[in-house]
Amino acid sequence: MINGAPLLEVRNLCKRFPTRQGRAPSPWIIRDLTFSVADREFLTIVGPSGAGKSTLLNMIAQVDVASAGEILFQGDKIGTADPKAMRPGLDRRVGYVTQDDNLLPWRTAIDNVLFPLEVQGRLDDKARAHAQVLIDAVGLTGFERYYPHELSGGMRKRAALIRTLVYDPPVILMDEPFGAVDAQTRAQLQEDLLRLWNLGRKTIIFVTHDIAEAILLGDRALVLTRQPARIAAEHMIPIPRPRSVKSFLTLPGFAELYERIRAEVQ
Amino acid sequence: MTTIDPTADLAAPAPLISRKQIIILGRLGLALLLLWGWQEGAETFGSVFFAYPMDVVRRLIEIAGNGQLVTDLLATLRVSGIGFVLGCVGGVLLPFLLRRSKRWTDAIEPYVLMSQGIPKYALAPWLILWFGIGDLPKLVIVTTVVFYIPFFNVFAGIRGVDQRLVRMARIIGASETKISREVIWNSLLPFFFTSLKVALPRAVGACIVGEFLVSTEGVGHYIEHARELSDTVGVFAGIVVATALVLLVNALVEYLERRALAWRPVDRDMAL
Repeated sequence: MINGAPLLEVRNLCKRFPTRQGRAPSPWIIRDLTFSVADREFLTIVGPSGAGKSTLLNMIAQVDVASAGEILFQGDKIGTADPKAMRPGLDRRVGYVTQDDNLLPWRTAIDNVLFPLEVQGRLDDKARAHAQVLIDAVGLTGFERYYPHELSGGMRKRAALIRTLVYDPPVILMDEPFGAVDAQTRAQLQEDLLRLWNLGRKTIIFVTHDIAEAILLGDRALVLTRQPARIAAEHMIPIPRPRSVKSFLTLPGFAELYERIRAEVQ
Repeated sequence: MTTIDPTADLAAPAPLISRKQIIILGRLGLALLLLWGWQEGAETFGSVFFAYPMDVVRRLIEIAGNGQLVTDLLATLRVSGIGFVLGCVGGVLLPFLLRRSKRWTDAIEPYVLMSQGIPKYALAPWLILWFGIGDLPKLVIVTTVVFYIPFFNVFAGIRGVDQRLVRMARIIGASETKISREVIWNSLLPFFFTSLKVALPRAVGACIVGEFLVSTEGVGHYIEHARELSDTVGVFAGIVVATALVLLVNALVEYLERRALAWRPVDRDMAL
């Protein structure tokens, strides 16, 4: 199913925040974490709250430094211990959809979506048309001229999601992007993401604490332990695509996988 | 400032006069009360200390007619305007430059704080010594009086910018210049406009004080000249002109602010 050399590799990654003077040494958040992601693979990472999932993505996105270990992108080492040498987003090759939508409040929905293209100097008619396709795909049609505070929570999440998709980075990190919305909206967002991903498969690392979400979306799921985060288990998810939020709960194998992961997350 | 009352459509039929009309009536009432107080003041203290409102109005019409008003207004507007712009440009640019380097910030900040402690008007004699009696000493005073207001506001604004937005912009590949222009600047616009509104009357005030000291024209010169002649009506007319000038420019800033911040959900600022 997935083959070829890994696009992104994490090797023996460790993280602890600097110890404050006069205090006990700060604990390890992540300890000896190793995994890889293949090109066009949808990897989900499940772990308990506070397991260092966001910290892991921050290091891959190059907005935080690792304490030890390395991160490789297409075989090149990208991790660095020097905060000044960090390249956030790795020259636009790593997109990051965070828990908060982080939309610019003074820009309308469409201008937020176009913002990456604008800063990258790629804003032309073709790019605009592509943005409109994405806006239509997630049902934001008609809301283009609305400011973020005029949109619902789910709409803001959609806008944030397609703001990253629009500039098409090879790897997209997602940090519980559908947290803090109601179950109905969440299911709709998951459906949107599945559809978008089927339109053009991308490499995605999707972090969540929702086991069902991890199974529904991923080709493969990693289970993290409590802090310091290590890999507790790895599961291939054999449920065929295209998947649907409505029907997959009843698919053979789902319940069993769910129970196994739940036992491992404890 | 108008606010939309969400219950307006659901509630009972509209009252005889709207909320807005009540407020306008209240303001008119207050204005009449103040005018009456002014008139009473003149009656009580006599025309040496208090000018009668109607005398001031007649004087205003007179100086408007003979061109004195325009000459003095333009002189004051020129000096306070240029000084205001220079002070604001410096007060905005410096925090933006310092944003790039913590080391420079730490080095320069105490000097900015220290220099703020110097009473600017105390420099006036020395400035006259240096620059003579033209516009320049007044300009320096206006600029230095204005500078600190946007400086500290913008500085605080930059420190308060939502770092998550900055991080997002970095990840999508925005340059530091683009981040400054888009994320930082827009985030601190409310701070910026607040500082403009505080700095504006101070700029005009500083200019008028400067004109008391050295000038051949300007609203301050008019007031001081009137005082020398014990012309109380002239003093009052000058004060009225200065106040009107501040209010007028303030209205312009308000208008610009409303346009620039149209995206904001509610206008939380006090309406002036």
